[in-house]
Amino acid sequence: MKKEDVTIMNRHGLHTRPATTLVKNAAGFKSEINLVYKGIRVNAKSILGLLVLAIEPGAKVTIEANGPDEREAVELLVALAKNKFDME
Amino acid sequence: MKTIKGVKISPGIVIGPTFFFKRDQFPIPGTWIQMSDADAEIARFQQAILKAAAELTQVRKLVLEHLDEDHAKMIDGQLMILSDPELISLVSQYVRKDNRNVVWAFFEVMSSYEKILQETDGYQKDRAVDLRDIKRRVIYHLSVDDAYLTPNLKEPAIYVTDRISPSDLIHIKDQGALGIISQIGGVDSHVGILARAFRLPYISHITNIEEVLACPEIVLDADNEEIVLNLSDENRKIYDERARQHELLNQKLLSAKLVSSSRDGVPFRVLLNIGFVQELKTIRPQSVQGIGLFRTEFLSIERNAIPNEEEQFIAYRDTLQAMKGRPVTFRTFDFGRDKLMAMLDLEVMHRDIAFEEWGGIRFCLDNPEILQTQLRAFLRASIYGPARLMLPMVTRIEDVLEVKKMIEIIKRNLKKEGIKFRDRFPLGVMIETKLALDILEPLAGMVDFFSVGTNDLALYLIGVKRDEDLAKNYYHPIIFQSIHKIVQAADRFSLPVTICGEMASDPFALIGLVALGIRSVSVNYSAFHAVSDEIRNIRILETLTLKKQLLQEENAVMLYQLLREFYKNQMCAIPRK
Repeated sequence: MKKEDVTIMNRHGLHTRPATTLVKNAAGFKSEINLVYKGIRVNAKSILGLLVLAIEPGAKVTIEANGPDEREAVELLVALAKNKFDME
Repeated sequence: MKTIKGVKISPGIVIGPTFFFKRDQFPIPGTWIQMSDADAEIARFQQAILKAAAELTQVRKLVLEHLDEDHAKMIDGQLMILSDPELISLVSQYVRKDNRNVVWAFFEVMSSYEKILQETDGYQKDRAVDLRDIKRRVIYHLSVDDAYLTPNLKEPAIYVTDRISPSDLIHIKDQGALGIISQIGGVDSHVGILARAFRLPYISHITNIEEVLACPEIVLDADNEEIVLNLSDENRKIYDERARQHELLNQKLLSAKLVSSSRDGVPFRVLLNIGFVQELKTIRPQSVQGIGLFRTEFLSIERNAIPNEEEQFIAYRDTLQAMKGRPVTFRTFDFGRDKLMAMLDLEVMHRDIAFEEWGGIRFCLDNPEILQTQLRAFLRASIYGPARLMLPMVTRIEDVLEVKKMIEIIKRNLKKEGIKFRDRFPLGVMIETKLALDILEPLAGMVDFFSVGTNDLALYLIGVKRDEDLAKNYYHPIIFQSIHKIVQAADRFSLPVTICGEMASDPFALIGLVALGIRSVSVNYSAFHAVSDEIRNIRILETLTLKKQLLQEENAVMLYQLLREFYKNQMCAIPRK
């Protein structure tokens, strides 16, 4: 398993638009991918799961991947988060 | 006597018990399924998801084409929810392990997500509306019939609700609703139009619904914009009598006679505007000469999506059959912002001003698959009666040419498929833009009839917004001059001209229209009987003397006075009810 911490820097936190981008990208990997926030682990391919976490701006989250493409998955998703999910 | 004030949406007065229905609280069947049915239930769920996704994809495409990627992305969130792996797996678990029926399972899963979202403090809280939209859309497709979603009145009662949809209204009307009270709802809403067509008293903006529901019997007095909660014995007599008068008026309207000419025997047609097939139930077809305007886009409002070919075909066929040989003019989809809003029924979009400029035949030509579907449904239905086709908001010759070309292609395909249709039917255009006024003659050479949409014409010529009071603008000289120009151009090509719009419902303006040579009007049901009465009493030949004066008048106030005087002189000998 591969994992890495990253800070959510979008102005309104992980709201629908960045969450949509995250899910779209996560869905492209074969690995099982989770996002952990305040000890709660959700499927990163589930928009509903991400939304109900209500991740605030500046929050630290962990991205975990388990599977054949786990390294690429974590790298890409962390890069996306650092890049504010191509928004703002 | 305790009374609550509200806003009148539809006039009338009625006394009765109440029936409460909260629109977004779906009655979910709490039934268990057999273990062996689990696969079928889940398959049903997957089908519903696919249908909902197809509808939203269509909406997304429209939004993208007419607005931008940013707005289209608002719908992406909803589409993504539909394909959420957790959602699908949770629903499947509820069905397989708990043996709940799939509507129940889906509702529970969605509601739990919705609850968590609503409890968060973040920006995500607003997304609860997406979940509600999705819930409504999927449950619609999951429901074998509408019974899950629609109210069920067991006895005649006054319907009390948070908000009411057009399809709810049609449904409760059939079940014998006496009147409507709602928390939200506007006079110009489509529900308002329907309530007035059905002559159902309706008051909205009532906030303390609980108080209303606590009473075993109330008076819904829409005429005075109030609800009487505890009717005293001494007042009961007065209210009973008023309610009886309202009922009598309704019955009188139902037995109205057909008008086919003026008092001095000049042939004249008073046609009806409708938006829902169900409206036909409120009239006797033999008392109407035809439908002058069928607003097909209302079918979308009823369904919250653009109806498919079969749904449209059934609506058009049923209308033609109900009218028993009288002509029906179907106007192709005319999506203005308000109608699109109602159709999408997405709370997220409601306050967005970006949807300002959608409408008319251009919208349909820009989305050919929508128009093709509509034309196919129209052609298939056309064999069931004298169907006519009308194009809204025409601004260019090419608009008509493109539609004609499309019709020819569809006819060829239908022929190949061995499907029957009417080969020749009248095709007309609505004259309601300034651009159309500049191309009247070439247009007249290409079509079979003109209809003048006076509401939009006034908007384009004088620049007043739709929500402002148009009444004061009917008397603007430029409106009468434009209509004169339209009639002249049509005369040269022997085209009939019909006036569709509020202007024809105004007694003084109607005199002016008649003076200009208008011999056909199409009006909403609420105005139908008053207009019929006026035509029955008017001496048309005498209006010819009015025409010259009318066209020379340059001042709206003077013009109004001129028409009013003429009206009074003509009508004074006739006893008015």
